[in-house]
Amino acid sequence: MRGFWLLVLLSVMLLLSANNNNITAQNYTVSGTIVDASTNEPAVGATVYIKETRKGTATNEKGFYTLTLSKGNYTLVISYIGFNEQEIPLVLNKNTKINSKIEPAVITTEEFTVVGEKENQNTDEAVMSTVELKMDKVKTLPAIFGEVDVLKTIQLLPGVQNAGEGNSGFYVRGGGPDQNLILLDGATVYNASHLFGFFSVFNADAIDEVKLVKGGMPAEYGGRLSSVLDISMNNGDMKKFKVDGGIGVISSRLTVQGPIKKDTAAFLVSARRTYAGDLAQPFVSDSSKFKGSNYYFYDFNAKFNYILSSKDKLSLSGYLGRDVFTFKNSDDGFELNTPWGNSIVALKWSHIFNDEFYGDVTASFTDYRFKVLAKQDQFEFGLYSGITDYNLKADYTYLPSILHKIKFGGAYTFHRFTPNSAEVSSADVEFNTGDVIINYANEGALYVSDEWDISEKLKIQPGLRYTVYQHIGPFKRYNNDERGAPIDTVEYSKGETVKLYQGLEPRFITRYAFNEKASVKASFTQNYQYIHLASLASVSLPTDQWIPSTEVTKPQFSTQYALGYFRNIFKNKWETSIEVYYKDMKNQVEYKDGVMPQDDGGTNVDNNLTFGKGWSYGAEFFLKKKVGKFNGWIGYTLAWTKRQFDDLNNGKPFYPRYDRRHDASVVFNYEISDRLILGATWVYASGNALTLPVARYIIEGRIVNQYGERNSYRMEAFHRMDIALTLKGKETKKFKSSWNFSIYNLYNRKNPYFIYFSNEGNVYNGSLDIKAKQVSLFGIIPSISWNFSF
Amino acid sequence: MNKLNHINPVLLLLMLAMALVSCEKEIEIDLPDAQTKLVVEGNIEQGRPPFVILTKTSPYFEPTDINSLQTLFVSDALVTVSNGTNTVQLTEICTNQLPDSLLPAVAELIGVSLSSLQTFGFCLYTTLDSTIFGEVGKTYSLYISTGDEVLTSTTQIPPLVFMNSYWYKDQPGYSNFGYIWFELSDPPQLGNAYRLYTKRLGKDSRFIPIFGSAFDDQFFNGLTFEANFGRGKEPGSQAPDDLAETSFYYQQGDTVVIKFCTIDYYHFKFWESFEAAAMSSGNPFSAPTTVTTNIEGGGLGVWGGYGVTYDTLILVD
Repeated sequence: MRGFWLLVLLSVMLLLSANNNNITAQNYTVSGTIVDASTNEPAVGATVYIKETRKGTATNEKGFYTLTLSKGNYTLVISYIGFNEQEIPLVLNKNTKINSKIEPAVITTEEFTVVGEKENQNTDEAVMSTVELKMDKVKTLPAIFGEVDVLKTIQLLPGVQNAGEGNSGFYVRGGGPDQNLILLDGATVYNASHLFGFFSVFNADAIDEVKLVKGGMPAEYGGRLSSVLDISMNNGDMKKFKVDGGIGVISSRLTVQGPIKKDTAAFLVSARRTYAGDLAQPFVSDSSKFKGSNYYFYDFNAKFNYILSSKDKLSLSGYLGRDVFTFKNSDDGFELNTPWGNSIVALKWSHIFNDEFYGDVTASFTDYRFKVLAKQDQFEFGLYSGITDYNLKADYTYLPSILHKIKFGGAYTFHRFTPNSAEVSSADVEFNTGDVIINYANEGALYVSDEWDISEKLKIQPGLRYTVYQHIGPFKRYNNDERGAPIDTVEYSKGETVKLYQGLEPRFITRYAFNEKASVKASFTQNYQYIHLASLASVSLPTDQWIPSTEVTKPQFSTQYALGYFRNIFKNKWETSIEVYYKDMKNQVEYKDGVMPQDDGGTNVDNNLTFGKGWSYGAEFFLKKKVGKFNGWIGYTLAWTKRQFDDLNNGKPFYPRYDRRHDASVVFNYEISDRLILGATWVYASGNALTLPVARYIIEGRIVNQYGERNSYRMEAFHRMDIALTLKGKETKKFKSSWNFSIYNLYNRKNPYFIYFSNEGNVYNGSLDIKAKQVSLFGIIPSISWNFSF
Repeated sequence: MNKLNHINPVLLLLMLAMALVSCEKEIEIDLPDAQTKLVVEGNIEQGRPPFVILTKTSPYFEPTDINSLQTLFVSDALVTVSNGTNTVQLTEICTNQLPDSLLPAVAELIGVSLSSLQTFGFCLYTTLDSTIFGEVGKTYSLYISTGDEVLTSTTQIPPLVFMNSYWYKDQPGYSNFGYIWFELSDPPQLGNAYRLYTKRLGKDSRFIPIFGSAFDDQFFNGLTFEANFGRGKEPGSQAPDDLAETSFYYQQGDTVVIKFCTIDYYHFKFWESFEAAAMSSGNPFSAPTTVTTNIEGGGLGVWGGYGVTYDTLILVD
């Protein structure tokens, strides 16, 4: 807390020193809303400036702008990339309102433009540790199997680490995989990956934009310690019908959008399904013992937009995705069926009270479930787990003056957790796998923040978030003896409070601009996280369980300090930044040593957990060229992450698996001609931390490993280059198409994926042979996909 | 027991997916030096003398020839076993000092194949003093002193539990190969644990633990139920039927002696983790499975009591 007050004090002092030259003459404001004439959507981030003075601003997320000027005659210029520039004469002798519709330019520069970004946004906003990406930029980057994946692009940013080769999971500034809040149109996504993270659930054709907040989290976000990944789905086109699609090596996609009622209502539906497993089916001979085995996943996105009036808009977003794995082995009559995935619905009502006051109310439902059904002979085995949330939130923005942007709102979530619950039966006998202990919890939040332009140079954004969490009955707590047998149980009745937690989360972000091109920013944030992901494996798997805070498991809590220097060079064409951070995390969750999956049966999951702390610090360097035929970025992170648990590693601190000393990426797109685009990425990362055996012994003629300190060994560093070439077909008025050729792992680097020790032969006749082996996953993989739209 | 207990479907799919795209190579690894620890492998069954094999850990990539492995035996230790009334010091014997006629009995006692005993000289601590031979229901304390290290442990020979019945059934799609099935009535109180071995007469020279040999009653406490099991193999076996596609099954026509044991909880925990470690070896997604121990004083390994029952089954479907 001391750091927070220091920052406040610092800002107040800066305020006092900076504010006394702010004497003004007779001032008036000009304000209004800019909309895209083709879609009637607000033009977010359009530049509005006064030609004569070059003074300007950018429109906010409602397309609203406001400028304060002294009395006089001016020319107001509205400029938005991809749209025709507009000039409007302005006689300012009173507060004036100018609304405008802007028309798309005839020649659109669809690819490679950072749409909706103010030129010096990087240095100007009191926002740090935040990156926004437009999907069209992501689509020309190389992708494994040609599957465009926004989560893998996120991993190329400094401060974000991937969870392993080909994996779409990510770790932000030393935080665990459960510390990222992933939102799809405002609804939480609990498991964002297909096929164990090799692909993300976000179908690139259905996504418009993503925003990643890895530090300096504004008060409107909460519930996770490390990051927010805010993903918006495409709104349907309000003017005309459009079909986009793609055919790839392992999957195909189709998106249809168009008006239901022109300029008033629109829809978008998008579907994707993999077929690698299906394509293999005809080649599996009828006599194969694995006949009938298959794997596929699919995604279905839908969105409806309805403009009720000039002040009201309604949107309904939905997502349904499933991974389905079936396995049959006729040899032993073994059959397995494993579906898992998310279902998400969000209904958002946006209302503009007036130009200074507007807001959204969102009701959402999200459900993630994992199921296994297995059968062999007379045995049946079932395993279920999942989490379901009902959420209602309201977010408002109030602009009392040009100097303040006040945001406030609240959220309420009802959680329902189903930890792993198993059913096993043999013939008619049901095995006793314990009660299914479903957990219920209420989570609430209220927040307020103010983005305050104290002077031209100094901007602060203080915020406060209050959160409250209530674990409620029905609930049964098992008090166990050392062998896991219940000594007694404590039962809570329906609605009874098992445990109540609450806390204040102060947030503070400040920006001091030296000039238009250079600024320094600092932030202080504290966060609570009331739900946790318990993972027995060394990577995240769909079997990981979401569990609530209880009287045993306390909420996670983090404090993060970040300081950054931001500078734009070459007329704002290049952005550079350096950020340093320190993050402290309390009440981190791990399984105790030696716990096996079956130990969760018939008890509370958190009886098998142990709790500790973590900390992370580092520096992130970012150089980005935003515009031009050649654009892209270079990111580099130097970081340290540690964990310390009394019950793990003899109480000594250890590096988590994903601690990376060095993490670098180079990403670029080059527009060779109007029809040909080259995209390339190169990544480098220090090796993963790993626990390896240091000694061995023999029991019953078998080699037993004695492991060394937790994660004390480092694998070799990881590096890889990918390239992609996008070739656009001849464009006709109605039909557009493009080929995408990509090569993953261009120089066929054998990156270490894991190391294991094999021992073969017989201990007692001298034939024993012990070897260390390193497994690599993907060698060079070329792929091709064809995309079209009409 | 049946492999449904061990299956992780997600790992199964992962392994399948990875098999398609992965490749592996042998690498050199510099592992840090670890402190050498004492390792106990000892047991006691009813009607039999206790025995203890005392070895030490070795650095991971030390040579693995017979001579190097034999240097791991720890000699001249003081080893005693007590049943609460009698305390008996065990004497050290090395099998290469014994006449060949005694070897089959020793092989049976310490649970290794006769051929192993003939190529590899074992040293172990045991006794012929029948006052310390195992008795059902008694608790046995182990005390080991060597150099300045002292290890202790206790184990129980739990009350016997008898299997209701065994039978053999061909696996669908096979004629002549299948699992052995059993019906067990687990006693009412929680905490019973078991270990199962089989010996095919004329084929195996000792009782070999089945695949997934140790299990407890966490999920079937007090129930009467049916289950099956597949055949276990000698470690590193090159026998033709151990390399065959049907190596997991028993073959119709064989005569099999089944050794069904009750074991205590900490003893069970050792074998449970031992078998889990063997199964997760080479699996990149599971955290390393540390094998537990019931040895106090900084040692590794196990000191285990067995309450043994035997049955003979001729495999006919």
